[in-house]
Amino acid sequence: MVEALILDSEAVNALAKPKTRGARAQRASAILRLSYQKRALVRVRAPVLAEVCRGVRYDSAVNHLLNNPGVRVVEFTRTTAQQAGHMLTRLKLLSAHAIDAFVVATPLQLDTAVIATADPKDIQRLAAPFSKIRIFVL
Amino acid sequence: MQHRGRQRKRNLATSAAKLSVSIPGELAEAVRKRVGARGLSGFVARAVAHELEREGVRALLDELEDELGQPSKADMARAREAWSKR
Repeated sequence: MVEALILDSEAVNALAKPKTRGARAQRASAILRLSYQKRALVRVRAPVLAEVCRGVRYDSAVNHLLNNPGVRVVEFTRTTAQQAGHMLTRLKLLSAHAIDAFVVATPLQLDTAVIATADPKDIQRLAAPFSKIRIFVL
Repeated sequence: MQHRGRQRKRNLATSAAKLSVSIPGELAEAVRKRVGARGLSGFVARAVAHELEREGVRALLDELEDELGQPSKADMARAREAWSKR
């Protein structure tokens, strides 16, 4: 069984810059530790990087995290983009929510996945039809 | 020239390398039974990749522990609850 921890933008920031993220970093550290105990994969969907990368001068902490061999960036495919589009249409959400939909579409190829997010409202709506997806609020 | 150098690096990353490893006989038998002789390379490659990923996560957890200390029992309990929900 393939399990994964999926990091949204704030989860990436919390793990990359723990000293600036307070309680969120503590919670991100807890879910990461549990994922390690469960031998789960740790994944970031590529479009999330658009929310966390802010220029060469500011990206060193995020790059340090993403250069860790245990945190893999999942490339963006046509299939995933189309799945995300279908989810947005079903919930009548605007494309401003596209990155949330990309994050939720990531685990659909896995057996189970936990999405770590600080902004669960839309992700919970998008993930509601999929029993294999759980949400961890940072 | 720089382009050729990048290309060579990419080829090294994607080309197959032949390794000779020794593992306990029982383990060899179990893996052959599971994947057959033809599926062995793919199985070993996946296992090695997974172990390298785990070492990376272990290193990240050590870094986080240095900065934040160990996660609290309450945060670990919340994490377990979220993982097992549904």
